[in-house]
Amino acid sequence: MIPDSTTESLPVQPDTAVQWRKVLWERCPYPDNFIPPDSFLSALRRNPNFTPYSYWPLVFMCCAITQHVGTVFVFLAIFVGLKERSVDARVLLWVSVSCSVLGYGIWEILHSSHPSNMPPNRSKAFKSSLLVFLALMGLAPVLRTLTAATSSDSIWALSACLFLLNTVLADHSCSMRPGSFTQERLTFVLSMNAAISSSVVLASRLPDDLSVFSLVLFAVQLFALFPLLRHRFWSISTAVQALVTLSITAVSLVLVTPLSSAIATMMTGIYIAITFIAPGVLVWAQQYKNEIRGPWDVAIPRLNWI
Amino acid sequence: MKDEALSIAMISDFFYPNVGGVENHIYMLSANLIRRGHKVIVITHSHPPDRVGVRWLLPSLKVYYVPFMTIASSATLPNYFTFLPYFRTIIVREHIQLIHAHASLSSLGQEGILHAHFFGVRTVFTDHSLFGFEDAASILTNKLLAAALKNVDAVICVSHTGRENTVLRGQLFEPSEEDPSLSVVRSSVYTIPNALVAEQFIPSPWPQPLETINIVVISRLAYRKGIDLLVATAPRICAAFPNVNFIVGGDGPKLNDLLQARERHLLQDRIELLGPVRHRDVRDVLIRGSIFLNTSLTEAFGIAILEAACTGLYVVSTRVGGVPEILPQDMISFANPDEDDVFRALSEAIDIVTRGAHDRLEAHARVTRFYDWAHIAERTEAVYDAVVRSESIDFETRVRRTMSLGPFAGLIYTIILVVDCLFFLFLEWWMPRHDMDFVREHWKPDVFAEFAHKAQSSGEEAP
Repeated sequence: MIPDSTTESLPVQPDTAVQWRKVLWERCPYPDNFIPPDSFLSALRRNPNFTPYSYWPLVFMCCAITQHVGTVFVFLAIFVGLKERSVDARVLLWVSVSCSVLGYGIWEILHSSHPSNMPPNRSKAFKSSLLVFLALMGLAPVLRTLTAATSSDSIWALSACLFLLNTVLADHSCSMRPGSFTQERLTFVLSMNAAISSSVVLASRLPDDLSVFSLVLFAVQLFALFPLLRHRFWSISTAVQALVTLSITAVSLVLVTPLSSAIATMMTGIYIAITFIAPGVLVWAQQYKNEIRGPWDVAIPRLNWI
Repeated sequence: MKDEALSIAMISDFFYPNVGGVENHIYMLSANLIRRGHKVIVITHSHPPDRVGVRWLLPSLKVYYVPFMTIASSATLPNYFTFLPYFRTIIVREHIQLIHAHASLSSLGQEGILHAHFFGVRTVFTDHSLFGFEDAASILTNKLLAAALKNVDAVICVSHTGRENTVLRGQLFEPSEEDPSLSVVRSSVYTIPNALVAEQFIPSPWPQPLETINIVVISRLAYRKGIDLLVATAPRICAAFPNVNFIVGGDGPKLNDLLQARERHLLQDRIELLGPVRHRDVRDVLIRGSIFLNTSLTEAFGIAILEAACTGLYVVSTRVGGVPEILPQDMISFANPDEDDVFRALSEAIDIVTRGAHDRLEAHARVTRFYDWAHIAERTEAVYDAVVRSESIDFETRVRRTMSLGPFAGLIYTIILVVDCLFFLFLEWWMPRHDMDFVREHWKPDVFAEFAHKAQSSGEEAP
């Protein structure tokens, strides 16, 4: 927006040869609206700390978002399958239990690869997972009739909003520093809560207690535990990330295609847009970056104890 | 220089009974313009319960307190239309020819600039502060400013740095006359500094004791004033110079940091905290010290520095914003906003003061020469004259300029402009001008002088 030639001389020309100085305490023979041709805006700096993004690293970073969207679609496909009785609740239960055992094993391997980490407390993990398991089992009949008085349309709208909130607030950061705990951030907790609430209201549309129980258990694994595991993968390699992304998208497409081929096509479009088109748009938009710095900026104090 | 007396309305959200740099600037400028024969009124928002309606301040400055709600820090909500009925009545009744809006965060001022063209009233805007370009608040207020300044007749800034900042924020560029493909800064952007009343800041007549040196800080204790630097540097100075004490005036969120640092280093007898200092007591605090320390992280002009320099103190300041422009090198030491560098600059200043190399009375005389409100009023008057002589912007140009704000903002502001016109026409029909009471001036300066002369001579005749 700023023209390049801001230092064009003005019609106001001084009649003396006194040098214009950038001071206020001295009246020089120049008019007050004189714009010094050389020094005006000479302290302006544009994009001083600008490091441009390149395309492929951005694609890999966007994999985190694709994975998240993929898990949401996997969950929705499973829900529709349970509701239309094309998925057996017992099969889902066994799949999620075996997945969590597998996931815990991978987690522990990754965890012990960092020597600085504390040794994992297996009995505590087992106890808390058993507690969640039993609590959900006990609560399933209550959850099934939780929203009996609410119309299904409201439930679809509510769960859509909650999943949107979940996706927006989820932790899509990709740098995995050893010892950093992603679960400590407030947005992560909010995002997880939104997803769990959404799955609870969706589960209340299901016909029997076993379906409700298995769906909510599956949701806890998919939205509370799996993001932590996915976050750990960043410390391994980008190839693992690509593999995880590919498998999640493939699973979601395989689950959705029998339900509706139109939705499967739309999902493919979404995946391609997030993974390949969005980074391209960001790289393209960088040419318009115009960060303006100058002496008017609030200085950052440098203190020794920081 | 002046052709004829003008009727000027100063418009700003910031005016007495609030106290601050902008408030004082408006008052002093108005008073000096009145002295030069102009008629000046001030329009600001009311301060319920008692500061409402119309008030007169010395010397014959009429203040209209318009009943508007404030949202935060004494600023009113920008709503573009509700000011027009008040504005129209005041401008028409008072026969105003020119409005002068102050401060970029004053929505009253920006609204005045929007409405002024209905009455053939010319517009001048003074910007008093610096803003960045990166945070959301700055981006929003900069857009509002750019919209307001598209159709203003002249812009005044208080420092050269401030002018560069305002030119960028308000997009004050126009196509060059020689080559329309190039754009140049508008020729109606002026730099006119603040000034101070030097008589209020006379140095102490007694010589300063050299065995103890007091460093004075008078500032709002907030992050932007760099209080972190003060908190870090003050204990180091106290440790390095056993004869140096600090006097800190002001209040704010960083007071606790200062109290904690004082307690941690056991400096209760070396760092004196005065709490809030009223403006009229500032000189009494300043004369107790030899060095004034300003650690601001951003500053458009730095009037506090001038007040201290005028009282004869040697100044140490961070090199930010417009501060490097206000005093010559031998009256001020600069430091980068860096703990070690502030320490270095303060040590140098202590050395200068200990050697007796800084003459208080000479410093006072120099600041008095540099800054004078009468002079500032004269320079502002030159801007008014240029504005009144220039051709006013017609409606088509106004719309074209407003549309150039951008694809979305341009359209929004053009709609505001057009709706404002309709509202104005409605007001003309609803409250016709011939029903209005016009203000008649009895007390012109020459009439006043004549009466004063008469009273004096009759007093002499009477026994």
